[in-house]
Amino acid sequence: MDSLTLLSIFITITVYIGAIKLAKHVPSPFTTPILTATIVIIAILSSLHISYKQYATAKDWMTFLLGPATVALALPMYKNQSIIRERLKPAVLGLAIGTIATMTSAVWLSKALGLSDTIQAASAVKAVTTPVAIEAAALIGGDPALAAAFVITAGIFGAVLGPILLTCMKITDPFSRGLSIGTVSHGIGTSQIMTEGPVQGAVSSLAMGFAAIITSILLPWIYPLIQF
Amino acid sequence: MSFVKNAFLFIIQLVFIWAIYACSKYAVETFHIPIPSSVLGMVILYVMLVCKIIQVKFIEKGAAFLNKHLGFFFVPIAVGLMNYGGLIKTNGWQLLLMIAGSTIIGLAISAAATQYLTKKERNPTGGEKTNHGQSHSA
Repeated sequence: MDSLTLLSIFITITVYIGAIKLAKHVPSPFTTPILTATIVIIAILSSLHISYKQYATAKDWMTFLLGPATVALALPMYKNQSIIRERLKPAVLGLAIGTIATMTSAVWLSKALGLSDTIQAASAVKAVTTPVAIEAAALIGGDPALAAAFVITAGIFGAVLGPILLTCMKITDPFSRGLSIGTVSHGIGTSQIMTEGPVQGAVSSLAMGFAAIITSILLPWIYPLIQF
Repeated sequence: MSFVKNAFLFIIQLVFIWAIYACSKYAVETFHIPIPSSVLGMVILYVMLVCKIIQVKFIEKGAAFLNKHLGFFFVPIAVGLMNYGGLIKTNGWQLLLMIAGSTIIGLAISAAATQYLTKKERNPTGGEKTNHGQSHSA
């Protein structure tokens, strides 16, 4: 491992620990660690003239456990299996409706705002976890890299403002809160809503998985239907 | 000694969870399964726990550690947004509006639908509100 990679890893971990401490001392949606850490790391890398390409080796090392970490979400699901089983029907219906709503509204908003066709296609997949988004975007003519960027932004947006918006909408039921965050903000939202409680974390994990499956199946059928 | 033993068990648990992920990845690539490997792995681990193929305590420490630090693993990927400076300069506001708007719409509709459907299923005639499942939040 070269020194640039070590430096990048050191910066990332140090900033992330700092971001978690900040969130504890100043609890606010705007101190959500993934938001503050990302902004600070980008600022540091830019000031040191380290490009994302140079950062990529460090990224690969640090994200090695992302897949296993997603697998580990089976633990909260298992611990809350009785509540999940009891409400499985409304949950699956709710997340299917939500997935279609977020896909359709993203495409229509892109059209209304005059964004290009490639952007429209990439926007349709932004609610689901990156590997699915990349493949689904390519199927309907969107740019996979752009889709990944939208996925991250939608995830951070939902993690930061989702809980507050739900509270404003008087959604107090932990089950519904977890479900909707997992549906629109995949793993990033899940990592955040988990801090609210175990039911939210479990249901959000479930919703994230289902939303990915539903999107990869429905998108190629729905996308032509929502064009005008 | 118990520290060494615990550290060893913890690493074994992480390796086990990683192995499930590696197998899922292999299965997804070999059989062209249209779902992400991590989601398949999550389903496999869940089924293994439910069917008592493995005991919770066998993965609990490692899984809880990964759950706790899930957010960290997204940070290096989010840093990739630094590549989109140009696009953010030209279309930033429209993109933010599109992402924010459709995320809020999806959030509101899925949450409201789930809450409504649950109430309807529990009280088809629309009677008293149940309080089930409201007491788990931290």
